[in-house]
Amino acid sequence: MMPGSLRAACVAVLRRDLLLAWRRRGDIALPVLYALIVTTLFPFALGPNDDLLARVAGGVVLVTVLLAMLLAFDALFRPDLEDGSLEQLMLAPQPLALLLGMKILAHWVSTALPLIVIAPILASMLHLPAHANAVLVLALLVATPLLSLLGSVLVALTAGTRRSGMLLALMLLPLCVPVVIFAAGAVSAAQEGLPWIAPIAWLGAALALMLILAPLACAAALRIAIDA
Amino acid sequence: MKWIPLWMHQLSSPPTFYRFASVLRPWCIALALILTAVGLYGGLVTAPADYQQGDAFRIIYIHVPSAEMSLFIYGVMAVAGFIAVVWRLKLAESVAMQSAPIGAAFTFITLVTGSIWGYPTWGTWWTWDARLTSELVLLFLYLGVIGLYHAFEDRRQGARAAAFLVLVGVINLPIVHYSVQWWHTLHQGTTVRLFGPSKMEADMLWPLLVMMLASKFYWAASLCGRVRTDLLSLESGKQWVRALAEREGR
Amino acid sequence: MEAFLHMGGYAAYVWPAYAVFFVVLLIDFFAPNLRRRRVLRELHARMQRQKAREARKAAQRSPSDDSGPTMTPLDS
Repeated sequence: MMPGSLRAACVAVLRRDLLLAWRRRGDIALPVLYALIVTTLFPFALGPNDDLLARVAGGVVLVTVLLAMLLAFDALFRPDLEDGSLEQLMLAPQPLALLLGMKILAHWVSTALPLIVIAPILASMLHLPAHANAVLVLALLVATPLLSLLGSVLVALTAGTRRSGMLLALMLLPLCVPVVIFAAGAVSAAQEGLPWIAPIAWLGAALALMLILAPLACAAALRIAIDA
Repeated sequence: MKWIPLWMHQLSSPPTFYRFASVLRPWCIALALILTAVGLYGGLVTAPADYQQGDAFRIIYIHVPSAEMSLFIYGVMAVAGFIAVVWRLKLAESVAMQSAPIGAAFTFITLVTGSIWGYPTWGTWWTWDARLTSELVLLFLYLGVIGLYHAFEDRRQGARAAAFLVLVGVINLPIVHYSVQWWHTLHQGTTVRLFGPSKMEADMLWPLLVMMLASKFYWAASLCGRVRTDLLSLESGKQWVRALAEREGR
Repeated sequence: MEAFLHMGGYAAYVWPAYAVFFVVLLIDFFAPNLRRRRVLRELHARMQRQKAREARKAAQRSPSDDSGPTMTPLDS
């Protein structure tokens, strides 16, 4: 592998981000802890009625995972923006979209993957049936990368601003409405014994499209938000 | 036909557009007021009451024009936003950003009048109907654009970033609309009886068309006012603005 | 007229809807007017201040040339 080649640059960005995430393992645990807390609160609010909890379980876990991801989105570009390495990345001769794609991948691995691991446990705490639980994990496996990609474009747009937490939630809501509808639709269809493959397939199609488009849009957004 | 690009080019210079907007605005206001008076007279007085909904249907004369404007303004904002992102034209940035509050106002009116209309006809002021939900998402889109624009310290940079968000929203909006429709057919739990698109009598229809036209003129007037003000503060160091402040600023 | 205001029993719905329509649009319409006036007034005030400063500087320089360079007003 030639140093400075496209592949070497991609691997370097990916390795660096994963290493940084690993050095700050406590930050990885935070979204997981958040999801656990939110899911624990629901039975207290709704009452310990197993049937009711089972009916809302899929939706509750999905929305919880979405909110936990939203909390972690700020860390996608902010540390790199503060220490100046994002500008270095933008000046690099390699295509920015590809390097950003690697950053998004590393971010997904370090925030969404732990959430996907814990999601079936949270769902079974709320008495989601086992077969629906499997569909939930599958839906999350397709929906969370999609959310990461969509979110990355918006995070890039807010990169040049100071306050961005609430604004990001406001901007992300219209984008994540279809994702939540299809992911939760698949889970509730599985729960009712209906065919659930169609919504998952739609999510998969959107993911395939976004894998190409989102890094390009993210790069364009970043160039708008941080040009001096 | 060479004069069209030339004219466009001249118009897009801020002082020229300022004068153009100042001339255009009173005419648009006058037309909007006359058309509103005519349309409301037709809608509230001469149109017969609906045989199903009685007089409650008269809310249609503000609800439907507002709903149409909420989408129309988003379309205009998207075109201006595209020009702003690609060619970085100051006037296009201004038009895109100043359209957002007007669009948000019309979306808000659509939601509120729809809720008020829903109470006597559906028996509830809010239902997760596909159209209402899409309209709510549209309001969030507008608010996101306005919020992003104001989050930047450099106003032109904020305008370009928000214009990019507008373009993302253009792709997103039909997806939201169709996914919400799919979602609505999936969960058949709440079935609110919606009145189908019943045939409208000519007496009921013409005031609606007049009101739709009136809202277009209102929009043009409001946009002229907003863009004019925005250009003043964007160009506050320039000679033409200083001369204007000398005359009107005291 | 009373029947018109009564709206066939739906007055409580029709008139508030129209009120919302007109109030929101009036606010939308007059907000930029107020802002325009404010922008122009602020700019005018800034130009006045600048002019006064320049005039003061000019007045200082020409008549008080012999009074020495140490006499500077405190408020400059």
